[in-house]
Amino acid sequence: MQLTSNNKITNKPKKVANINTALAAATCALLGTTPMVQADEGAWEMDTALLYYGETDRVTAVEGVLSAKKDFGDEHIFSGKIVLDSLTGASATGAVAQPNAQTFTRPSGKGQYDIQADEIPLDDTFKDTRVQLEAQWTQPLWDDMRGSTGVHLSKEYDYLSISVNGSLAKDFYQKNTTVSAGLSLAYDTIDPEGGRPLAFSEMVIDQGQFANEQAYQAAFDATRQTDTDDKSTIDLMLGVTQIINRRMLMQFNYGFSTSDGYHTDPFKVLSVVNDQGLTQSLVHEDRPTERTRHSFYWQTKYALDSGVADISYRYATDDWEINSHTIDSRLRFNLTGNTYIQPHFRYYQQGAAEFYKPFLLEGTTLPTFASADYRLGEMTAYTVGLKYGMKMPSGNEWAFRLEYYQQDTKNPGFEAPGALQQLDLYPSVKAIIAQVSYSF
Amino acid sequence: MFKKARIILAFLLSTQLVGCANLGVQPWERDLLAKEEMALDADGNDLGLDDHIYFSKEATSGGRAFAGGGCGCN
Amino acid sequence: MRHLRLSILLIFISFAPLSLSFAQQMSAPDFVISNDQLPDNLSALKGQVVYLDFWASWCKPCRKSFPWMNQMQQKYVEQGLQIIAINLDTEKALAKAFLDKVPAQIPVIYDPQGKIASDYQLLGMPSSYVIDKKGNIRFSHKGFFTRSEPLYEQELVLLLNEQE
Repeated sequence: MQLTSNNKITNKPKKVANINTALAAATCALLGTTPMVQADEGAWEMDTALLYYGETDRVTAVEGVLSAKKDFGDEHIFSGKIVLDSLTGASATGAVAQPNAQTFTRPSGKGQYDIQADEIPLDDTFKDTRVQLEAQWTQPLWDDMRGSTGVHLSKEYDYLSISVNGSLAKDFYQKNTTVSAGLSLAYDTIDPEGGRPLAFSEMVIDQGQFANEQAYQAAFDATRQTDTDDKSTIDLMLGVTQIINRRMLMQFNYGFSTSDGYHTDPFKVLSVVNDQGLTQSLVHEDRPTERTRHSFYWQTKYALDSGVADISYRYATDDWEINSHTIDSRLRFNLTGNTYIQPHFRYYQQGAAEFYKPFLLEGTTLPTFASADYRLGEMTAYTVGLKYGMKMPSGNEWAFRLEYYQQDTKNPGFEAPGALQQLDLYPSVKAIIAQVSYSF
Repeated sequence: MFKKARIILAFLLSTQLVGCANLGVQPWERDLLAKEEMALDADGNDLGLDDHIYFSKEATSGGRAFAGGGCGCN
Repeated sequence: MRHLRLSILLIFISFAPLSLSFAQQMSAPDFVISNDQLPDNLSALKGQVVYLDFWASWCKPCRKSFPWMNQMQQKYVEQGLQIIAINLDTEKALAKAFLDKVPAQIPVIYDPQGKIASDYQLLGMPSSYVIDKKGNIRFSHKGFFTRSEPLYEQELVLLLNEQE
């Protein structure tokens, strides 16, 4: 899978880089939390939401959610969820901007696209639809103990994720303390159109050097593996919920996650630049086949006289050497008996993965693993938002949420040669999030 | 900022351990805690949608709930 | 899952006589009652079987017990059953709003400070106590489960059939 360190990036005649990316929609199987659900007995509780996520000049996503929950008697609760989302737009390829125009081959191998001088290379053919289904059953097992089990399935056209989970929660001290333990097993398979690129294989760009279409196709196919690949993930979570007083409660979670298999993004590349900062070739990225993560999460909720303060902090660390800090806060203020506003603030900071490289330098030893995916680089991000909710006389509720999200990527300490010094290698990503929710 | 947060966290944890006997409420004093908006999974769809966005855009996921599988490719 | 539930229920039932003998010695703490339909304190109800139900408007499972309590009160009034619902809301208005939606055909008394609840050392909400004709707590329940209604009724019948 990975190239050995004696491989050198060869000095080839300068040619324009060419990449194509049909980026897959994110498959996200974020699973249920501790079994602490409550539902009104007998009736179905439905929560629906429609979310718009739009980045400036990049990705646009529309996501619809339908959640349903029912208590079948004595706290035997079923909850289900259907999520549909559609993504279109352009996404960063990992290649660096250049003082000249660049040509990229699409990941499928069919067709090309051009990026203007000084522009950040974005793949403009990103389009996917995803369906996600979840089902969860929670019930009391014996005195002061609850169990929960569920399945999740997420499918997009080149990616499938299936997972099962189970958890137990036990109450102590008149339900003032709840201890929970959960396990989730996930299995993902990926089969991208045009196959998975070989690690560090060079992107084949048709610039007339091929005698015919067959010759081009043969060269392209030589960089690909056509079979599917997979990834399995084991998640363990231990949690403690503690009632502090009449107004305050806290939650502490420790999460352990280990995944084994294909972690590489088949649509991401790295630019190989010379000492003038000019791209000589583009190679496909390669990531380690294992990742082990630890997370520490603390949340507190405080009941105000007319509202709720909700603050959480998460510290996460992993063996890719990505450490992150997240602070999330929501403050709900009840305006009247049936309307409220809720400002939201989130701050996120992460360090770069140890194999993150914004570009590769020609003539240097090829690393064991490398990715120029900005999401594995150093960044800070913040979200500011406001939600307005109103309960109708019928008891049904409408809510509207508008948020702004910005990611600021940073140089984790790479020296940019020549032309790259004048170019924006660490751009910001700005997005608007708008959501309408209806519960009945 | 984070140093501070960690100190606060450590403080809260230590008070938690020391003051266990004094923490908590009587069963009939849960009127405020029983409110829907005080549930840890209140605004469940918002949390799920946010988790999906940040899972796709950042290198860390999970913590509140299982991190799970998925490619996060976009 | 069904088997598991069944076996848990069986275990629960098999332990029931044990809890009965354990609770037998416990005398029901007395308290002052301010309700026109009832005497001035609990001890004055000796000779009757008393079912005390502690509830609050914010407690979702609490509302499930009301239709059952209404039914039991009506069914066993002749044999000397007295059901009393003790409300633990801090504000009486909240309890009144609840009772508008969930009618109670049994007397309701108010304990906003939780004084009676403290004496009975409640473990959860709702909680109920079945007191025999001698004034001893013979059964107690934490929570109210629809599937256990026949069991609760059996307990009432058992105590109603006892001699004073």
